[in-house]
Amino acid sequence: MESDDRVLIANLKREEKRDLAFNLLVTKYQERLYWHIRKIVVSHDDADDVLQNTFIKIWKNIDNFRQESSLYTWLYRIATNESLTFINSNKRKHFMPMNDTSEFLMNNLVSDPYFEGDKIQLKLQEAILSLPEKQRLVFNMKYFEEMKYEEISEVLDTSVGALKASFHHATKKIEAYLKNSDY
Amino acid sequence: MNKYKNDQPRLSEIKKENPFGVPANYFDDFPARLQARIDAEKEVVPPEKKNRFIQFIKPALGLAASFALVALLVYWPVKMYLTSEVVESAQQNNSYEEEFSSMVIENIDDTSFFALLEEPDNGIEFSEEDLLSYVSTNLSEYELYTETEK
Repeated sequence: MESDDRVLIANLKREEKRDLAFNLLVTKYQERLYWHIRKIVVSHDDADDVLQNTFIKIWKNIDNFRQESSLYTWLYRIATNESLTFINSNKRKHFMPMNDTSEFLMNNLVSDPYFEGDKIQLKLQEAILSLPEKQRLVFNMKYFEEMKYEEISEVLDTSVGALKASFHHATKKIEAYLKNSDY
Repeated sequence: MNKYKNDQPRLSEIKKENPFGVPANYFDDFPARLQARIDAEKEVVPPEKKNRFIQFIKPALGLAASFALVALLVYWPVKMYLTSEVVESAQQNNSYEEEFSSMVIENIDDTSFFALLEEPDNGIEFSEEDLLSYVSTNLSEYELYTETEK
């Protein structure tokens, strides 16, 4: 995968091969990035907007990619930042307090026509959305996307130790939330 | 730690599955929609052809616009304030004049009032010197004396 990505990056930096290479990049990473974004912004429509913004940012900044990290973590970092920026700008639009992300995302969850989970899944998502931002990101990346701590560390620019602590706290809070709710 | 261990089953009881869905063919259609947006963005930002003259006078125009804006921001409130002051004082003067004329009219008899109305008013004002010269040329000293003795 790493060698494939190296070829892909080399082609992205060549003017005559850029369009084709970018199409390959989109096809290769769109699903993984979509699900990563969807877990953060919750609603499908918002995830679609953020995914487009993410790829446009990648398109515009591909020349700035220095290959200090893998392409995969660089894409994840852009997707994460775009998702958080999207949430904050939407909260500003709806005059919501900047620290109150949970309420905004809960509304997204309840109104999303593409949520297909049962009552238990809904409770779990509510529990995840009640977490602080960092813990929510770490929990989703570890629990659902099954990423390694080292990869999460590169994406979120946080030490592995801090990530382990965040995941531990997140799990405890989710357990407590589920225990106190009837489902 | 024991509490954490006791709590663990609740999370593990939940089947780890993705509860979110997407519209049909979403991932098949996405690359084409993205390409359309990229093409649109390319059209929106055409290569800039900078007019050298406009580039040269741009700072001056900006400065002039700033001055005009500041002048407008100062002029407008001042004008509004002064206009209201002038109207207020004019209203006061009008009320004094109206009060004076109504007092005069109330105190004169009907004949004098109608005579006053019929008098031609040319709006010409006479100075004291004009009046004195008029009186001295049209009246004799005797007539003046008798008038002042009345």
